[in-house]
Amino acid sequence: MKTRLPEHGPLETPRFWRTLEERIETPEAQQAAHDEFLPGAIPPSFNMGPDYNDVHGLPPQSGVSRRDFLGLVSAAAALAATVACDRKGQGTVVPYTKRPVEVIPGVANYYASAHQEGRRVYPVLVKTREGRPIHLTGNDEHPGVKGKTSPRTMADVLRLYDPDRLRAPKASGRVVSWAEAEGHLHAALTGAKAAGKPVLLISGAVASPSRKALLADLKTALPTLEHLAYEPAAGDAVEVAALASFGQAVDLQPRLAKAKVILSLGADFLNGEDPEALGAWGAKRRLKSAQESINRLWVLEGPLTLTGTNADERVPVSPSRLGAMAFALAKELAGKGVALPAGTDLSGVSTGAPAEIPQATWASLVKDLKAAGRQAVVLCGAQMPAEVHQAAHLLNAMLGSEAVAAIPAEPLATVKELETAVQGMAAGRFAAVLFWDVNPAYTFPQAAAWKDAVAKVPVRAWIGQVEDETAAQCQLLLPENHWLESWGDFSTPSAAVLQQPTIGTLYDTRQGEDVLLDVLKALGAAVPDGYHAYLQARWKKELPFGTSFEQALHDGLVKGEAKASAPSFKGASVAAAAKRAAASRAEGLELVLFPGFATHDGRHANNSWLQETPDPISKMTWDNPVAVSVQDAKALGIEEGDLVNLSLDGITLKLPAVIQPGQAQGVLALALGYGRTTGGVAKGMGVNAFPLVGLEPASTHVRSGARLAKAGGKKTLSRTQSHHRMEGRDLVRSLTMDEFAHDPQGHHHRPELVTLYEEQRFPDHKWGMVIDLAACVGCSACMVACQSENNVATVGPEQVARGREMHWIRIDRYYEGELENPKVVHQPMLCQHCDNAPCENVCPVNATNHSAEGLNQMAYNRCVGTRYCANNCPYKVRRFNFLEYTAFKTEPETLVYNPEVTVRPRGIMEKCSFCVQRINDGKIRAKGEGRAILDGEITTACMAGCPSDAIVFGDLKDPKSKVSQLVAATRAYRVLEELGVKPAITYLADLKNPALEGGHHEA
Amino acid sequence: MADDTRKPMFNRLAALVAGPFLLGREAVSLAFRPDKDGPPETPPKLTPSRITVTPPEHAIKRRG
Amino acid sequence: MKPDAAILSGDIPEALIEPALTVGVVTPGSLDDQVLAFPETRPPKQWYIGLAVTLTALIIGVGCIGYVFVTGIGAWGNTSPVFWAFDIINFVFWVGIGHAGTLISAILFLFRKRWRNAIARFAEAMTIFAVICAVIFPLIHIGRPWLAYWLFPYPNQRALWTNFRSPLLWDVFAVNTYFSVSAMFWYLGLIPDIASMRDRATGKVRKVIYTVLAMGWRGAASHWQHYEKAYLLLAGLATGLVLSVHSVVSFDFATSVVPGWHMTIFPPYFVAGAIFAGFAMVVMVLVVVRETMQLKNLITMRHLDVMNKVILAMSCLMGYSYMMEGFTAWYSMNEYLHHSFMNIISGTYGWAGWVTISCNIFIPQILWFKKARASYFWMILVAVGVTIGMWFERFVIIVVSLHQDYLPSAWRIYKPTMIDFGVLLGTFGIFFTLVLLFARVLPVIATTEVKAILPGAQPSHHGDDHHV
Repeated sequence: MKTRLPEHGPLETPRFWRTLEERIETPEAQQAAHDEFLPGAIPPSFNMGPDYNDVHGLPPQSGVSRRDFLGLVSAAAALAATVACDRKGQGTVVPYTKRPVEVIPGVANYYASAHQEGRRVYPVLVKTREGRPIHLTGNDEHPGVKGKTSPRTMADVLRLYDPDRLRAPKASGRVVSWAEAEGHLHAALTGAKAAGKPVLLISGAVASPSRKALLADLKTALPTLEHLAYEPAAGDAVEVAALASFGQAVDLQPRLAKAKVILSLGADFLNGEDPEALGAWGAKRRLKSAQESINRLWVLEGPLTLTGTNADERVPVSPSRLGAMAFALAKELAGKGVALPAGTDLSGVSTGAPAEIPQATWASLVKDLKAAGRQAVVLCGAQMPAEVHQAAHLLNAMLGSEAVAAIPAEPLATVKELETAVQGMAAGRFAAVLFWDVNPAYTFPQAAAWKDAVAKVPVRAWIGQVEDETAAQCQLLLPENHWLESWGDFSTPSAAVLQQPTIGTLYDTRQGEDVLLDVLKALGAAVPDGYHAYLQARWKKELPFGTSFEQALHDGLVKGEAKASAPSFKGASVAAAAKRAAASRAEGLELVLFPGFATHDGRHANNSWLQETPDPISKMTWDNPVAVSVQDAKALGIEEGDLVNLSLDGITLKLPAVIQPGQAQGVLALALGYGRTTGGVAKGMGVNAFPLVGLEPASTHVRSGARLAKAGGKKTLSRTQSHHRMEGRDLVRSLTMDEFAHDPQGHHHRPELVTLYEEQRFPDHKWGMVIDLAACVGCSACMVACQSENNVATVGPEQVARGREMHWIRIDRYYEGELENPKVVHQPMLCQHCDNAPCENVCPVNATNHSAEGLNQMAYNRCVGTRYCANNCPYKVRRFNFLEYTAFKTEPETLVYNPEVTVRPRGIMEKCSFCVQRINDGKIRAKGEGRAILDGEITTACMAGCPSDAIVFGDLKDPKSKVSQLVAATRAYRVLEELGVKPAITYLADLKNPALEGGHHEA
Repeated sequence: MADDTRKPMFNRLAALVAGPFLLGREAVSLAFRPDKDGPPETPPKLTPSRITVTPPEHAIKRRG
Repeated sequence: MKPDAAILSGDIPEALIEPALTVGVVTPGSLDDQVLAFPETRPPKQWYIGLAVTLTALIIGVGCIGYVFVTGIGAWGNTSPVFWAFDIINFVFWVGIGHAGTLISAILFLFRKRWRNAIARFAEAMTIFAVICAVIFPLIHIGRPWLAYWLFPYPNQRALWTNFRSPLLWDVFAVNTYFSVSAMFWYLGLIPDIASMRDRATGKVRKVIYTVLAMGWRGAASHWQHYEKAYLLLAGLATGLVLSVHSVVSFDFATSVVPGWHMTIFPPYFVAGAIFAGFAMVVMVLVVVRETMQLKNLITMRHLDVMNKVILAMSCLMGYSYMMEGFTAWYSMNEYLHHSFMNIISGTYGWAGWVTISCNIFIPQILWFKKARASYFWMILVAVGVTIGMWFERFVIIVVSLHQDYLPSAWRIYKPTMIDFGVLLGTFGIFFTLVLLFARVLPVIATTEVKAILPGAQPSHHGDDHHV
């Protein structure tokens, strides 16, 4: 095609001309005529832009040749043919006939919104694609969370697409219209108002000012309304202690950035729930040199918590003794001259170190706290008995701690108040009951009594998403929007946060507030039409001058410190608490009930992402075995996975046991939120521990007198890690501050790596990652972020038990030292993108290979699944689709997929891609704007999701990039470097700051 | 006449085929217990296979 | 006295005279009647019973493979980090079994070990059947078996090429070459015998089939000349393959970074093991064939004695290899390798290691005794033991090495499923079904070759027909 026609003869032959210029024979015209049919015949001006390399690494092309054109035409025809057909039964793919203004196919939209779990508020940024929310991160504008959020919040996007969601209202088991359903409700409520009979409303914690106002409006319109805000996982002791110590409900917010010494009394503030605390923790731990200041974490706790694994000094103590120890600490400090708050009487407290703690440790703790003064903070676990909370309040008051803020909060109902309500219901006091986003039929400890009592209420209405145990007891089921379909607002200490829908409702659902507004209307109140209008009307009044509601929605928040005065500590409350604490002794085994890492109080139990995210300590998925201490297991002859009978107060649960190193002797730990009886995912996973929750508000979640006996039989544990020791291998390096200062590389020598081959060259970029083990707490937020970003499949408990989980990133957790109180280290493990990757050369079909930017990439459609690569991967980070985990999924489940990442079918290998879709997105963006890629512009999902900023990703070719600088840090090392595989991930050794030896004493 | 002689042959053939089949099925059921055949509360069949996705009303996007 | 002179004078000590390779009076005619009669007569009842058993096993195996096709590799016990298990164990096991045949027919042919002539045919057939069993696994063990052809470097418009650095690709070539050369070699040897069968055939159908298979063999001198040349050439080719195939199979392991796999001793160690396992299988089958098919006069106790000696020698080689593994683990001071070796003799799968060592090293030592080499009980015990032991050796190499490699967090215990056992059973079904069919359809003994070793068939230094 490049051959030209033979030159025609002289000018005498008939000539035709196309343009006047040609006729006149200007040189340009001649040239143009000459070039017309040559490949790449385009005006030079088309080709004058800066010569940025194409994304695919191809040289810039100057136009389209006929060959290319024909290729494109045939490809387009083929594509048209393939697009026309698709998977059976899923209908035809058609483009938008009326494209929504907001949606540009292929371009992600981001919305700021917010989510609430208990009292905690999570401002988030929602990524939507083609109108579907697919990925959540924290709102980067929020001064507290700084773009981070919790694992459960990130996973909650999956709940939007839960196929079990109720899609239309139901009345007495029949699908009805909203008008009919609400008609029933309105009739019942107006009737109750007329008759003056009480109506019970049970909801979760109220953290929203507008919701609070709405409830107040409702109370005005319906004076017989009784409202209980119930959070079953929170632990009532917090409320009881706050009332005693401050005279009001408070929400304690740690300010760890200001803390030098932290004492945790069973507080698990590093478990991922609190991104703000994790951010501050990470900032204090990511040390460049030993001269920088580091904090010190003391942990006294019964069960081993994630916080306990990150402690610099940890002492296992049963929770019943924590109160006494804390008061003894207060007395000791007072004896050393720390002033007691007015009215405090500690005369009942014995002096000296408690028996549970070694003398030297105790002395060091006292010294540390006293030296840190206002920069010391004492945090108490929510489940701990009330007197421990009171002791913590006292200690913080004594120290005048700046590192914790007590913020007045809406009170929560305790189990006692719920019990009163049950009695009221049983007595037929209530005309109607309305459950809003709560599931007391499951969470109330006495389920049978609850069921009988509820049955005596004439009208029972339920607002929620998935029909649950409570819905089964109600006649009126009102399906609620997911929070990503709803409006709302929340107050946080540093900003007011707005919640807006990021998608239109998927089904015929409404948000709970809209239902209540309709109730208000039916009761004759004048209210705006819909909660959006209600919210807008309130906010128009509240917004600071110069800020529009639209701007606030755009940002997702309005900055400004909450103006609430800190409540003062009541010293007089101490004496009684100290007395109770001194008397507190556990008879038999002591059971600690804590909210499940994945399920919380059971509300997330239907979320397969969370169910399959292993508990950071036990590495259990899909189940809640009872954790037994090493000593007790030995005494009772219990082995890992043995079925046991756990009995307390006449209730016996049969469940598997796991042996938990580091757990205090005599302590059992069991997660709440499992054993649901409804929900396609949740049903039958684990056992329900709520029947074991106590009815005494001062200590609902710590119960003494538990009995444990072998029940015979074993259960195969769905655990993602079954070997817990490092076997003396140099995998996770951990340094004390002394070692960091003097000998950061220790006895480890850098292996001399010799190769016969030429060094690989990376012309443009070389992507790399640094993971700071000192900042990583093991919260597993990265796992959920990755799961959401990369369409990682869940496989179910049986498959996890066989070791077939699909997570691209996992957290390896190792125990070191004696099992009674081991040192614990966490190590995120993902594809190391080795330059000399052992997986690449063994693939017979070249399905995995190295990119010119140092990425170890997988061509899924080329993979035939020999699995050799996985065998040859020293890090075992490759995941194989042993069975078909994805193809049978239908909408709505498929709506959560990230369209930029291939959904992998069975029989192929997959693994971390360093979020190559994000890399390409960044490159395209930079190219479009005609600039180089900025450092930090491209983030992997794990990096963006890491609340303590332990993960840094970037270009190693850029010497100024953060990642390049960290690679050269003294703490840097590579895992299994001696194999010569040249991993692209560098780890920075963990840091511990022990008080007794090897730490910084000035801390 | 012919049928009479053939019948046992068919039986034998049937046994030859059915035996391994039943054994195989037994083996399969041992490895994959029947109680795992999907969540009992799968969504009702009547739901449409495609769900209409609509953009949110009044929401303000950050970027995109 | 110079040896040449001794030969010439015919004055050879008694002990050096090779005893007759057949027992009793065997003439070319009686040999034909004895061996070629099998395909010409109806099989006994026992044969049908045997076939029913092996076919049942075969059908179960095929059913299990079908199930794996439908559901995926997850039907097996394979998991992370034990991504290979029964699939590759069985593959290596069967490839190994296949080694005896070619060794007997090719290497011993080149060394002019004439005792091989009587057993070469059967051993070769077993090679082919074993390799058939083996090649099933590379095809079915991959995640997407319908794409197995991607393992071949065929030209395609996507310009996709295989990865020639991958030992798995070498495997594809090695096993394919091995199979095709073995099959050709076997078939070539069969041609004169098939021609004999053609000549003897009475039925029309039978005649046609054997005529086609005999490819026009008429026993002309030129035929024999070509035949002998081709046979020698193929023997030479096959000899190299005996050593190369299992060396290449061992590269699957030796070139990886998995501790317990990454060892230079693997190629010779694998070849020795393969010959070991193959001979054991041949002994097992020959004993049965000899007894049930009344071939005692052709497959003599001397054959079994020699075979048992080879087994004993290989057993010692295996013992040396195992010790070298231990020595390497200790001497290398590599903690991973050390851990991997300790897992063989202790730990969760320690029993498998000891089964391997007992069956492959300890039990065969009984063959030092001449009485044991002449006793069915002992030689069957050893042969069965070696077969089990060699299967477990591959289990130890593959599963035990993989289940605990570098990062303890990824370690996991592997448990096979019923489907795994079903597929294993199925390959035995395939193997023995083919053996049974072979025994009734084709001459089980190479009559032409045995005729060459009958007394008086060869030029003799003693006889009168001596000419150079």
